[in-house]
Amino acid sequence: MIESFVDSWGLFGDTYLAGWAVATLLSLIGVWVVARDQIFLGAAVSQASTLGTALAIWLQGVTVIHAFETDAVTFLFAVVASFLTALVSTRPSRPGRESAEAITGWVFLAGSTIPMLLLSSDPHGLEEVHRILFSSILGASRTDVWLFGFLLVFSVVGVAWLRDSIVLYAMDPEMAGAVGLRLPVWRVGMAAWLGVTVGLSIHSAGMIYTFGCLVLPAMAARKICREVRPMFVVAPAIGLGTAALAFLLAHGVDMPPAQMAVAFQCAVLALAWGWSWLRSRVAA
Amino acid sequence: MRSSSGETILGVEGARLGYPGAVVLENVDLSVGRGEFWFVIGPNGSGKTTLLRALLGLLDPLDGRVVRDPRFAARTRTGFVPQQCSFSQALPTTVREFVSLGVIGGDRGRSERAQDLAWALDRAKLQGMEGLDYWSLSGGQRQRALIARALVRRPSLLVLDEPTEGMDIGSRAVFLETVDSLHEEEGSTVLFVTHHIEIAARYATHVALVFDGCLMAGRREEMLQPEKLERAFGERGVAFADLSASASSPGDDA
Repeated sequence: MIESFVDSWGLFGDTYLAGWAVATLLSLIGVWVVARDQIFLGAAVSQASTLGTALAIWLQGVTVIHAFETDAVTFLFAVVASFLTALVSTRPSRPGRESAEAITGWVFLAGSTIPMLLLSSDPHGLEEVHRILFSSILGASRTDVWLFGFLLVFSVVGVAWLRDSIVLYAMDPEMAGAVGLRLPVWRVGMAAWLGVTVGLSIHSAGMIYTFGCLVLPAMAARKICREVRPMFVVAPAIGLGTAALAFLLAHGVDMPPAQMAVAFQCAVLALAWGWSWLRSRVAA
Repeated sequence: MRSSSGETILGVEGARLGYPGAVVLENVDLSVGRGEFWFVIGPNGSGKTTLLRALLGLLDPLDGRVVRDPRFAARTRTGFVPQQCSFSQALPTTVREFVSLGVIGGDRGRSERAQDLAWALDRAKLQGMEGLDYWSLSGGQRQRALIARALVRRPSLLVLDEPTEGMDIGSRAVFLETVDSLHEEEGSTVLFVTHHIEIAARYATHVALVFDGCLMAGRREEMLQPEKLERAFGERGVAFADLSASASSPGDDA
């Protein structure tokens, strides 16, 4: 199986590398999402990105402006939709203001239905939306590898530099503001980090793979670790490990790699739940 | 009781505080001097936390201004103890990690941080509990972890937002003694929001009464008068005045 996998590198090498970079990157950001206990935010941001993509395709169909007819515009719409969703969903709660949970629910449902309605008479557009929802990563290119490689390096450096501030901002934003962190800047910065990464990932790897890699490794790390800070190492390790193993196995048994990776991550999370339960029993 | 230097380190001048479309406090004037122990007292929903948020820089005044001594503007030596820290119970953290997050934005060097952590845990009476899961602590111990997280910055200004709510009497006494000793021994300026007038009567050098959208502030003996408490709390204020008189020790001199 390994020999066959190595043989396929010439054809699918870029897909494998892009998929692993996406898994590692999303798992790293996922620690922040999971630390805020906003798991559903990941689904809403991913779905908003699908809506952005559909909107771009629809505009390409109805407008005569040629500038719209490029992949860059589709990327841009996907990223902007993800960013705005992350920004609105992480607003501090205030009396009379709609809850973050309600907003993420609304975005998720709008993002699930509007793309289908917009593109119901556009076979190419519908196919693109189905590809995103199906999570096919086979089309990833060398550009994706460089793009996600750059984002991964940028993110690792950022986390290494600001890890404790990210943890405090996730756990206790009020305290973070009181000790001098500029909360509006942080909110926009974190929403941009999440929005750009998810928006680009959705376009290359699809909805299920993006949402799965974003939350499942971080949730498993939360059960395995005794502190938040080690989660920034454990979650990416789980993300990369499950993606590597899944791609190898999926190639061997001819199954879709993205779904295989997410299934592995679900299994790791179930094992982590068991481990956590066992540890608490032993401690008691 | 430690005397203050009179040097203003934090204040509000002619401020209108609140949110767009919802003014909470008007014509707010307050001047907090170095080394003073302030209590902010008022009924529920009167705007105590709004005032605190403005003083901490978390809320811009709608009108007027918040004044900070330049040495406090960066908040490197400001410690904040919120009413509670409501992060998810599913999130794992130890007492050590939780408390050490308090150093963020501080001005202490890496080598001093380990000493500061040990000192803060000791002052909050949490020594030996560093490795424990934060969620395995009792409610009172968690509140002490919150104060340790503020102390690890070696704060010159300590701001506490109703930190004793939900504590049993024993835990509350330990908590208050910790804050008081910090004020007495380290000379920290303390700003303490509470409903409990008897606590203010015992520890305060100064009191700010917040009620009906306004604020009255001054030295403790001027503010804890029956007529002022009655204005702030209605008829219950008279009973509070009796309570505060009994809680205040005769030898105290603010």
